[in-house]
Amino acid sequence: MAEDLKLERKNQILAVKDLPTLPKVLDEVSRLVRDPDSSTEQIAKLIAMDQVLSAKVLKMVNSPIYGFPGRISSIHHALVLLGFNVLRGVIVSTSVMDIMLQNMVGLWEHSVGCALASATVARHVGLKDVEDVSVAGLLHDLGKVVCAVQLPEMKTSIEAMVKAQDVTYIDAEKAVMGFGHDRVNAWIADHWKLPPAIKEGISYHHKPQLARLYPDVACCVHLGDFMVRLFEYGSGGDDSVLYLEPDVLKKLKLKPADLEKILDLLAEQFLEIADLSFV
Amino acid sequence: MSAQDACRLPRPQNVYLLSADQELKNILTGLWDDGQLRLTCFERGRGAIEVLFNELPDLLIVDHDLPDMPGLDLVNLVKSENVYRQLPVILVIREESLLTGADWCSAEVDDLIVWPSTPARLKARVYLTIARASRAFDANPLSKLPGNTSIIQRIQEMIDRREDFALAYADLDYFKSFNDKYGFSRGDEVLMMSARIIVNTIRGFTGVRSFVGHVGGDDFVFILPPDKVELACQRIVENFDSIVPHFYDEDDRAKGYIQSTDREGNMRTFPLMAISIAVVFNIGGRLKHYGEASQIAMTLKKKAKENPKSNYVLDKRQA
Repeated sequence: MAEDLKLERKNQILAVKDLPTLPKVLDEVSRLVRDPDSSTEQIAKLIAMDQVLSAKVLKMVNSPIYGFPGRISSIHHALVLLGFNVLRGVIVSTSVMDIMLQNMVGLWEHSVGCALASATVARHVGLKDVEDVSVAGLLHDLGKVVCAVQLPEMKTSIEAMVKAQDVTYIDAEKAVMGFGHDRVNAWIADHWKLPPAIKEGISYHHKPQLARLYPDVACCVHLGDFMVRLFEYGSGGDDSVLYLEPDVLKKLKLKPADLEKILDLLAEQFLEIADLSFV
Repeated sequence: MSAQDACRLPRPQNVYLLSADQELKNILTGLWDDGQLRLTCFERGRGAIEVLFNELPDLLIVDHDLPDMPGLDLVNLVKSENVYRQLPVILVIREESLLTGADWCSAEVDDLIVWPSTPARLKARVYLTIARASRAFDANPLSKLPGNTSIIQRIQEMIDRREDFALAYADLDYFKSFNDKYGFSRGDEVLMMSARIIVNTIRGFTGVRSFVGHVGGDDFVFILPPDKVELACQRIVENFDSIVPHFYDEDDRAKGYIQSTDREGNMRTFPLMAISIAVVFNIGGRLKHYGEASQIAMTLKKKAKENPKSNYVLDKRQA
């Protein structure tokens, strides 16, 4: 693909002004923010169920305006530092998903599931910053949302290709756009000054062996993405179970028996969140 | 009462008007009869300069067309001296002079009044310029929070009204060693973070009168009603302790301490930064002067500092 065409698309993607979210989540968050009795913890928990709102608050708190770019990776910390006034502004400026994008509800479920699965893996292997992994898991497909909003005609072609040729979503992205959502994630992470652990987790979740600074985060998200697909919770845009990079298990020092244990743990947690309805 | 009288200034302001225009002088003089603004008038520029240099007003209003010199020359003369640079200046200019184009880039003018104007416009312009200057003048350059002048003024105001309040002084432990090891810009990040935590925690208490100020460096002040302050301290401590580790490098954070040089120049280990808060109460008009509050707070702070972890100390003699 010609470099200048790629650059043009990159610029178009980074020009994203507003990302839509699901009306139900937005309603619930705005209700909590209006209630003087609700706590930051409560609101953080709810925002952590939504990839777009989470990405927005992290983008804002890591912007140079606040004076500590690239430092904050936790949603709860972001809310403490932003305050409710700014949060109200974020909510007001978030639009609700329109009919064109309604088929992305599955992606929201998939993202929440991946956050849960990645965090479970991280906890099992004894990582310190489980929340970083959880946030990276939540945001690992953010690039798909941004592309859907900024390059909608490409989304149509990608989906058609996935359906007709039975390829993975990322392969179809590469064929149609010249790059995958993992690359888009890296661009966004740089542009929004997201902390390095989050950046590596979302940019290398398909190729965790390439992560240099935080390979553990990338490995956990990779495995989380794989597992949430096993459970068929939500949809990442295609029906295939991802290729599991064998190095990942080695890097995280996981044996097949560990995997079974994690899957059992997850089965219970997925039962719990299955009640959660996104529409 | 008119709308403009509703926005009172914190204290009476001295305003110098430099203009030979009799009508402008008459209108401005007639605008305030409540003593909030004291207007001193000069018809010529040269006569005013010496007075200006000796007794700085709170606001200077200069006519562009002075009889003896261009108004902008006078403004630049005053403003070129750094001790006078904070002085807010309004230039009064006629439409036709505006059209010939002045050198606005070199003119250190803060606002403009196009003459002739209406009394209402003049009054609003003057009020806004004074208010803007006092905001800009006393804001901490880093956090943009109100600085010392505003802090002292607010506390003394509440003491004078015999209003019950809790006054908290917060500062960071081991900030200096962090600054020494990681450099000023990383230190500033921590100060910005601390300011945000304090402001948002205090603002979380809705429907009460509160205040947050930045004394300078790693010293902050906040005011809340006495029954809210302990919860506020708990929240600030909790939030600070959970967020501050993220401002350290990964390895230092894992170790839980840093190595840096102490005041004597020896290599030493220092714990991660903590926040110490000392709270003074003014209940039933106990305090008479701002100085008492800060003195009690300094004693309490020593006690808070004995603990290397984040903590707060409440003034026990509050009854």
